[in-house]
Amino acid sequence: MMRPHVIARVMLIAFGVFLVAAPWLIPALFNKFWVSVIAEIMIWSLLAASVNLLFGYVGLLSFGQALYFGFGMYGVAIGVATLGLSFWPAFGLGIFASVAIALVTGIFAVRLTWHYFAIITVVFSLIFYFFAVSVKPLTGGDDGINFTLPPTFSISGVKGSFSDANFQYFFILATVSLCFFLMHRVIESPLGKAFVAIRDNDVRAALIGLNVYQLRLIAFVLAGFLAGVSGALFAFFGRYASASYMFYHVSGEAVVWAIVGGAGTLCGPIVGTTLFIVIRELVSTHWEHHALIVGVLAILVVILAPKGLVGMWNEGLARWCARAEGTSARINLQTEP
Amino acid sequence: MTEPALRTENLTKRFGGLTAVDNLNLSIPSGRLHAIIGPNGAGKTTFFNLVSGLLAADKGRVFFKGRDITGLQPHEVSRLGIKRTMQIKSVFPQLTVAENLWVTRYATNQVLHPFRSASRDPETRERVELTLEQIGLPALAHRPAGTLSYGDVALLEIGMALISNPQLLLLDEPTCGMSPAETERAVEKIKQLARTIDIVIIEHDMSVVFEIAEDITVMTQGEILASGSPDEISSDERVREAYLGRPEDEDYVEEAINA
Repeated sequence: MMRPHVIARVMLIAFGVFLVAAPWLIPALFNKFWVSVIAEIMIWSLLAASVNLLFGYVGLLSFGQALYFGFGMYGVAIGVATLGLSFWPAFGLGIFASVAIALVTGIFAVRLTWHYFAIITVVFSLIFYFFAVSVKPLTGGDDGINFTLPPTFSISGVKGSFSDANFQYFFILATVSLCFFLMHRVIESPLGKAFVAIRDNDVRAALIGLNVYQLRLIAFVLAGFLAGVSGALFAFFGRYASASYMFYHVSGEAVVWAIVGGAGTLCGPIVGTTLFIVIRELVSTHWEHHALIVGVLAILVVILAPKGLVGMWNEGLARWCARAEGTSARINLQTEP
Repeated sequence: MTEPALRTENLTKRFGGLTAVDNLNLSIPSGRLHAIIGPNGAGKTTFFNLVSGLLAADKGRVFFKGRDITGLQPHEVSRLGIKRTMQIKSVFPQLTVAENLWVTRYATNQVLHPFRSASRDPETRERVELTLEQIGLPALAHRPAGTLSYGDVALLEIGMALISNPQLLLLDEPTCGMSPAETERAVEKIKQLARTIDIVIIEHDMSVVFEIAEDITVMTQGEILASGSPDEISSDERVREAYLGRPEDEDYVEEAINA
């Protein structure tokens, strides 16, 4: 008998096999260019996951996650270009910077909810955007920082470096997979259940003894971590950091990806990010108004599938399985003598 | 003499010009099921909100077993063992019935484990199954709480109160909106609970109140009107007046005198 979680597991394995085979499969079928598009999708889906953790699981809609993405980027770029750090310390600096700023801004932001929360996250991201643009010696201002990437590791002559396209791809795949695995564990844990309880009914959550403020802050810092890893990876990927990635326009895109894909589902952000980046790559070379398609799609999904594409899929699958079970039960009954 | 389960000193809460709870001095002894009754707007729910930390008092103090809990946050009050249900039924609608119970159980812990699977912890799992049996909802364990009937939600709320090992339970109109059969089931449950837990109950259904309460406090306009055993309360003239108003012909007489 087919059960929803069996189907989900089969799909997950198929998706994993596809991602591992992609560096060879995609050039053979289409074009090498699409391998780096997949790598980019994986990085951005982590930013969408950061929005999803806050909105889908704790009920806080942040329009400022790009701020922590930007700190991850700048942590790496300043670490490598200014401080002369090697790969791992720079990676660590990027993640640390975004987690630290998420903690500091979160202390103020999670006192608020709903539109007030959304507004304060935008305000924080604007403050730091203009700050980054104006502190030219440190951030390179509008021009950003270009840097040459040090090798990831070098053990007895064996070098792993992002200059090798396959190494770069698998490093991103491994890091993003690890982050999604961690998020999965958190969601299934008592902590994750407490997040959802707060999203559902924060007064009730406080009455059963949950420290709502503290838990929202933990979620905010975790989301900052995901966005920070995403930004650090993007800096490695592009060998570049720029204040433009901290602008709230980037945050807004991540919100759309997460909601269209399905907020409150683990895979929603991956689906949403994939859909919109593939559309952008396919259409933008032919037609400059590709954002129109994005807008129309977003509106359609929000109206027709309020739980996003993955939410719609899950519901359809559950209904289909229930019906299949119903018919097979009836058949069993009929075959009874 | 043992400390009362709940005691207030000059507890006052104003909403603008309205004094919802007015200089309330109430002492609820441990080990007896206490009911608070009174007409709408008497300040009963406001009193619960002040005790559970959802509202901050303008004046006065609240003591739980002799400990001053005035001004504590709701989760701090809850962790001391004071649990409450809401007048308007309030659970986590998108979580399943079992998950509602898990999270309530976990919320009593200081630290929430961030990585262990919530559903696999054997101790919690057993406790959740036991509670499901107690409230009679095992068949609905995996239904989202938002899809339950009103009576089942009320039972789930009682289950959530149960699973957190409360010392003092504040029930705000637990049988409101229940069918007679559901009410009977809930009343049985509450009586059974009262043997081990201190319970304060707000209730409008007088048959329920007089069936379960050992002490009754009557509130009107934020003040205590009368306090005593069910027999004393049912024969109290002022209580009858507050609930039923005065007989009309008496009003005529009074008007005639004043005219």
